[in-house]
Amino acid sequence: MTTPLLEMRDIVKSFPGVQALRGVSLSLRPGEVLALLGENGAGKSTLMKVLGGAHRADAGTIAVNGRETVFQTPQDSRRAGVAVIYQEFNLVPGLTACENIFLGQEVTRAGFVSRTQERRRATELFQRLGVEINLNVPCRLLSTAQQQLVEIAKALAFEARIIVMDEPSAALTSHEVERLFDIIRDLKKHGIGVIYISHRLDEIFTIADRVTVLRDGTNVGERPLSEMSRSNMIELMVGRELKDEFPHRATAIGPARLEVMGLRSGSAVRDVTFTVRRGEILALTGLVGAGRTETVRLLFGADRRDSGDIRLDGKLLSIRSPRDAIAAGIGLLTEDRKHQGLVLRHSVRENFGVPNLDRLSQFGFVQQQQEREEFGRYVSTLKIKVPSQEQLAGNLSGGNQQKVVLAKWLARNCEVLIFDEPTRGIDVGAKYEIYLLMNELVAQGKSIIMISSEMPEVLGMADRILVMHEGRITGEIADARRATQEQIMELAVA
Amino acid sequence: MRQSLFAIFACLVGCLLGCAKPEEKKGVDTPEKQTGPKQTIGVSLLTLDNPFFKVIGDNITAEGLKHGYDTIVVSGDKDVAKQSNQIKDFIVKKVSAIVLSPCDSKSIIPVIQEANAAGIPVFTVDIPCNEPGVKIATQIATDNYGGGKEAGQAMIEALGEAGGKVAVLHFKQAESCLLRVKGFTEVIDAHNASSTAKIEVVAELESSGAKDMGYKAAEDSLQAHPDLRGIFAINDPAALGARAALEKANKTQQVQIIGFDGQPEGKQAIKEGKIYADPIQFPDKMGIQIVDAIIRHSKGEELPAQMLIPTSLYRKADAEADPELK
Amino acid sequence: MFLVLVLLCAFFSVATFSEQSPTGEAAAKQLASVIEQQFGSTPRVLIVAREQPGDSEFASSLEQKLVTSGAKVHAVVKGEPRDAREALVKISSSGEQLDVIACTPAAAAWLVFSDLKNDFPMLDNPQIVKPQSYRWPNFLKAANVLNIANQIAVIAIIAIGMTMVIITGGIDLSVGSLIALSAVLAGLFIRDYAGATNASAIGMTSACVAAILICGLIGAFSGAMITLFRIPPFIVTLAMMLVGSGLAYLLAKGESIYQIPDSFVWLGRGASFVNLPNAVVLMLVLYGAAQVLMSRMKLGRYIYAVGGNREAARLSGVPVRSVLMFAYIASALLAGLGGVIMASQLKSGSATYGNMYELYVIAAVVVGGTSLSGGEGEMCGTLIGALTIAVIQNGMNLTNVESYTQKVVLGLVILGAVLLDKIRHGE
Repeated sequence: MTTPLLEMRDIVKSFPGVQALRGVSLSLRPGEVLALLGENGAGKSTLMKVLGGAHRADAGTIAVNGRETVFQTPQDSRRAGVAVIYQEFNLVPGLTACENIFLGQEVTRAGFVSRTQERRRATELFQRLGVEINLNVPCRLLSTAQQQLVEIAKALAFEARIIVMDEPSAALTSHEVERLFDIIRDLKKHGIGVIYISHRLDEIFTIADRVTVLRDGTNVGERPLSEMSRSNMIELMVGRELKDEFPHRATAIGPARLEVMGLRSGSAVRDVTFTVRRGEILALTGLVGAGRTETVRLLFGADRRDSGDIRLDGKLLSIRSPRDAIAAGIGLLTEDRKHQGLVLRHSVRENFGVPNLDRLSQFGFVQQQQEREEFGRYVSTLKIKVPSQEQLAGNLSGGNQQKVVLAKWLARNCEVLIFDEPTRGIDVGAKYEIYLLMNELVAQGKSIIMISSEMPEVLGMADRILVMHEGRITGEIADARRATQEQIMELAVA
Repeated sequence: MRQSLFAIFACLVGCLLGCAKPEEKKGVDTPEKQTGPKQTIGVSLLTLDNPFFKVIGDNITAEGLKHGYDTIVVSGDKDVAKQSNQIKDFIVKKVSAIVLSPCDSKSIIPVIQEANAAGIPVFTVDIPCNEPGVKIATQIATDNYGGGKEAGQAMIEALGEAGGKVAVLHFKQAESCLLRVKGFTEVIDAHNASSTAKIEVVAELESSGAKDMGYKAAEDSLQAHPDLRGIFAINDPAALGARAALEKANKTQQVQIIGFDGQPEGKQAIKEGKIYADPIQFPDKMGIQIVDAIIRHSKGEELPAQMLIPTSLYRKADAEADPELK
Repeated sequence: MFLVLVLLCAFFSVATFSEQSPTGEAAAKQLASVIEQQFGSTPRVLIVAREQPGDSEFASSLEQKLVTSGAKVHAVVKGEPRDAREALVKISSSGEQLDVIACTPAAAAWLVFSDLKNDFPMLDNPQIVKPQSYRWPNFLKAANVLNIANQIAVIAIIAIGMTMVIITGGIDLSVGSLIALSAVLAGLFIRDYAGATNASAIGMTSACVAAILICGLIGAFSGAMITLFRIPPFIVTLAMMLVGSGLAYLLAKGESIYQIPDSFVWLGRGASFVNLPNAVVLMLVLYGAAQVLMSRMKLGRYIYAVGGNREAARLSGVPVRSVLMFAYIASALLAGLGGVIMASQLKSGSATYGNMYELYVIAAVVVGGTSLSGGEGEMCGTLIGALTIAVIQNGMNLTNVESYTQKVVLGLVILGAVLLDKIRHGE
């Protein structure tokens, strides 16, 4: 047997109050794609940060090519040939792709950066990846998929032997994911080992050779993909059997609730008209950039709309800011919880309080007792896992963060809830709970608009589907139960 | 973590220990007749950026030490609120005398009154505080009026037979400068009354007593009066700024500069012929005189309300003979 | 942060441990018994004290005690060395003699007594006695502690507004200039409209309120620029710093405005509540109010939320613009109040006030543990930060540290204090 490219043994890491890793082992062979699975909070990210040199392990060993090494800093790990592509990319937004690729390893001649040589090598790298990327514009102007390619090129530039990809497909369209897989297959051919982290089990079956599953900071299984089934994986991850990914619900759809007419904003949203009914989950889908998020932001007053009427229960609403929308009973759970949904450095209780303070305060004074009690109720009904109400929001897993955001809006008694990518970055077990909550809400007669890029989720959860393309609604599927992925895709690229 | 915590704290303490001079260490040669706790003079000067005040401070310290006084010299940094706090700290320390060049003669009144109420004598140096309701033991200053007259004499001497147009680079906020210009114009007027070589003061421009402003003011007056023949600047920095403007305009031969103060840089410029002459002040004498006044006050002697120290005119010949400029 | 303050206090207490000169009744009693022991019950005495409340009390009390015990008190001098000399000349020329000259500790050091044998041979070489001294840190004297609090009051009050602004993720560089502007305006209004030195209390109050409100307007302008046009706070307030300072110089015409009634010093130097200076009382009240605002009130929570994540706050229905406007207006109003207090302390208004104060205020906030990236910070921390800076400055003045060295030390201590805090919180 060949020496493994990477061998991590009994890695232990704890943070104040949390034992993140309790002795995790992992091995990676050259030319292999290892899928690392686990619920959020299982320790995948921590393990990868140890590998990337961002965290130092409390105990355990790391061997690269059979040689034991200690990673004190990200530089150490890079020198050993490890590249970690985090979910939030590590690119300097203001620098070009070329400058980012060679950041920290500039090609110099007599102390000066040789731009021509850097450009030549960057072009070579992108050719190898089979893509074309504008080398002259700052990275912030590139699409998510392009930025990811820049990260991969960066890894190749310093001849990384081990590449870690943390949720690489989260923000990609299915077409872009296909191209990513082609690139990974090519990397395999060059003997590069890839550690692939994803919640999308379909992808794992397409690309992985072997699967390692973590739960609560320990290994719970490591097997070749051929010996694994989908339900196996889910069972290992959540530690229990899951009968169905999407819970059933009895639908009782009522009259129209929210009516949107002729919503426009520049070229992003062009004349969007739709209605949402009482007790209904309306899915808004399409490719990334189709204008779905833009549409709901206009509806919520987060951006200024050029024109369009919004009616709730037949009454015309004057929405000029999120404040107006909230007052009317509309809540938005943003796709980007970290930057738009939560104040990560503040406690979960304070986050919960912000939209509810109007109600929770008297003469400007916050009724803290009432706030605590109310949040306590949501913590138990939504099963939010927090050690205390003073826990910082940034320290929670994605699923729990999403529940805190949900609690915010539920406490406002919102009648229309907009979920933008409700389960992005959330693990299977927590996903199921979020679905159950959504079902419960519509059962209570609330209306939900759900934006999702995940086809199974759209098909499994929605009552009705709207497909968008280039800022327009290109089709409606009235009975989501009978829709197919192909049908949606056809409308999405129309 | 703990270690670096400790290290930092140690640094902090070390830093303070290094700077804080325990009060009783200095002044070993205390005269035996001294009884009780050490006597201290608290000095707060307008600024220490200007060598003039630095010399005053240094001389008070040196002279005080000879007579068994400890001296604290602080800079008010032209900030009257800061200076007030310094005086308040002196009062808490129970210094035996306070020497002060007020940053603002009006705003400083309340705190002088506090010192008066605490029974601590207050001496002013260079800048007076002749306000009702405050008790000043004595005011020690250069005879600015006399100095201004000397400057006028020097200007007449410099322009010689021809006379001509003259600009004054003023600093109107300072009372001392008002006196200097008053003396200057009086001499010029008297000269004009008796002589045919008239000297005409064509401009009085604000210079703030600083190089950059002096430069701008001189440049502007050269634009307005291309035939300018002389510049009287109320201190050396303004004079040197004016000189820079002359050099730029290539008019160093045409225009003569008279400065004021006699700071080392000014004296050097006189030696090199860049400034024609300075009525010079004697900050060292002022420092010594202050300590003398403090002692005389403590002995119960009567002090005059004001002690003026005359200036003397300093020309190129004096500079060449000056041992300090080697 | 509190730890640093305590350590600094402890350090300066040790460093300023020195001889204290008692005065007043107790000292008189002690000295009277000493005189009786050494010179019997009928000595011939001259009492010398400075013209100052404590000394005066000592002199009168000592005179009374000695007279009742049978001593002959020739004269009681309350004044300067000159007065003492006059008394000595008078006694000497009238042919009288002295056994004892009883002095306060300060008067005992006067050089007029240094050579009595030669200067006044007729007096029969009197002995000089003074009350026994004791040792106690200058730093810890009640007068000095109040002194520190009073000195920092202006900076501490302005730091309240600055803390709010910094918690919203902004900065306000204009406060130093607003101090000057407010002081000049208050002086100007009193001089020109309230009747100069004859101004009534109501006139002075309205002048001050007007000055503070004008500062508030400038704050509102800054806030509007920041919220409506999205110009970075650093730039807007930098511009306002120049505008404010320039206006102050223009209005004051470069002079200080001093035509103000004596009663104006009530705010800055008076003490109407158990010996606490009014400015300090005002500071404590404002801190109490600010603490309640930030921790208990809706507005406070909004301020934290806006600083913590502006977009998340906006999408949660927080009126972000109004919150920012409030912070900048509050900061400017407090700067205006600071200017009025400074004008009152110095009984005049001048455009030179408040120079560089913005930096001291920001330092106080940062030393107090507020993060410049916004969203975090405590009012109590800021108060401690301001006191830390005041203690360092006062302590160094008391321990004879030279001006320039003071700046270096202050800079390093600010850095050290923040570093210490970071390490203690494990970053």
